[in-house]
Amino acid sequence: MIKKFIHQFASPKTYLFQVDRFYHYIFYISLIIYVFSICWGLLFTPEDFVQGNSFRIIYLHVPASFLSQSLYAAMAIASATYLIWRVKLAAYLVIAIAPIGAMTTFIALVSGSIWGIPTWGTWWQWDARITSTLILFIMYLGLISLHNSFSNFEKADKLLSWLVIVGAVNIPIIKKSVDWWSTLHQSASITLTDKPSIDVVMLYPLIGSIIGFFGLVICLVLLSSKNQILIREKNKSWIKDYV
Amino acid sequence: MKILKLELLKLRKKTRSWLGPILVFWLIMIAYPLTVEFLQEKLEIGFFSVLWIAILISMMLAAEDIFTEDFNDGTLEQMMIKSSPFSILVSIKTLTYWMLIGVPISVLSFIFSFGTTENFSLSLMILPLSLISSYIFLNLFVLGNALSLNKGSVLGALITMPLALPVLIVLGKSLTAIQLDINFISFILLLLGCLSIIMVAIPLVVSYIIKAHLE
Repeated sequence: MIKKFIHQFASPKTYLFQVDRFYHYIFYISLIIYVFSICWGLLFTPEDFVQGNSFRIIYLHVPASFLSQSLYAAMAIASATYLIWRVKLAAYLVIAIAPIGAMTTFIALVSGSIWGIPTWGTWWQWDARITSTLILFIMYLGLISLHNSFSNFEKADKLLSWLVIVGAVNIPIIKKSVDWWSTLHQSASITLTDKPSIDVVMLYPLIGSIIGFFGLVICLVLLSSKNQILIREKNKSWIKDYV
Repeated sequence: MKILKLELLKLRKKTRSWLGPILVFWLIMIAYPLTVEFLQEKLEIGFFSVLWIAILISMMLAAEDIFTEDFNDGTLEQMMIKSSPFSILVSIKTLTYWMLIGVPISVLSFIFSFGTTENFSLSLMILPLSLISSYIFLNLFVLGNALSLNKGSVLGALITMPLALPVLIVLGKSLTAIQLDINFISFILLLLGCLSIIMVAIPLVVSYIIKAHLE
């Protein structure tokens, strides 16, 4: 049954219609969660003892950082799916995610820099976490330029998928950089194994903002992948009916 | 062994391909003292950073036309239909380039390092670091050039350069470890670990990429 569902969902046509069906629900639910969490975080949580009000940028910086890495991981999974099972939709998703990944990484870098001024006294430091995130941003730009340099979509998809898989080595480096090197950037406040080092008053709106931001970015990915399908499948008869 | 000999002969005849990167490395290392105040302390401060970047750039130039000629004259297609796995042929080609370019550059790194720091034991430790890092960089740029086979080497270098940056960070840290006399071997082991993965994975990926180009 699961196999049948995957095969059915892997068809661009089914995917497109399912996206149209669920997109609005995901968008409005995510928007409500994000706005609610941001308001909660900005207006109702107390000031941080050390950082004062500047800590509130956490509600943008942490979701963006989390997503910049998660989107690359999603691209790597989609690339493997495309190369192993030749699922066309996976290739569409890879190139649909790349610009959004670049955008979230850029937000993470900029918001981190803004946060760095009051906290560290500098907007930039060549420490392992920040540098590896910058490398991720350059990787995203490289992936986009590689794909755009080929007019043959199939060839571009294959090459892009290979590069995404090789570049995935950067993700554990970013994740563990704060543990492997002595960095100015603090270590993770929320982990799967340990108790969060952040107070629950600040933690709940943070989790809400991560979920809300995640949902909104998913909506962007859905729209972007929809565009890819419309471009790639433009000669199919069902697309003409759809448009 | 026969293929290795053939590749060595082919590369040796293309003097510009192997001598060019070595000369560029030489020029960077010679130009460096001219850009700073000619005092021993001042020279030593930035020397190793320049050394690693010079190795990186030389390897980028070394891998520039590794497949171009073979791709244009159809040799790659012939190599692909041979009975031996294509990834092994890619490994041998990379090894050939490293032997003729990477090894001399590493030896030069040792000489320049000794000339600048006048510290023999430190310079001796630079040798394995240069040998390993040059092979890692070469493999990464081979990947980049395979990806952008007929699109120019600049794109290839740009897309794989980010992958080389973590190696630069490790090189910087290992040098600190040498200077402070702490746990230097662990950095060598870390680089060797990376190299062992790269040596297996990159030729395999490159062979698939070239197949995609030729399809």
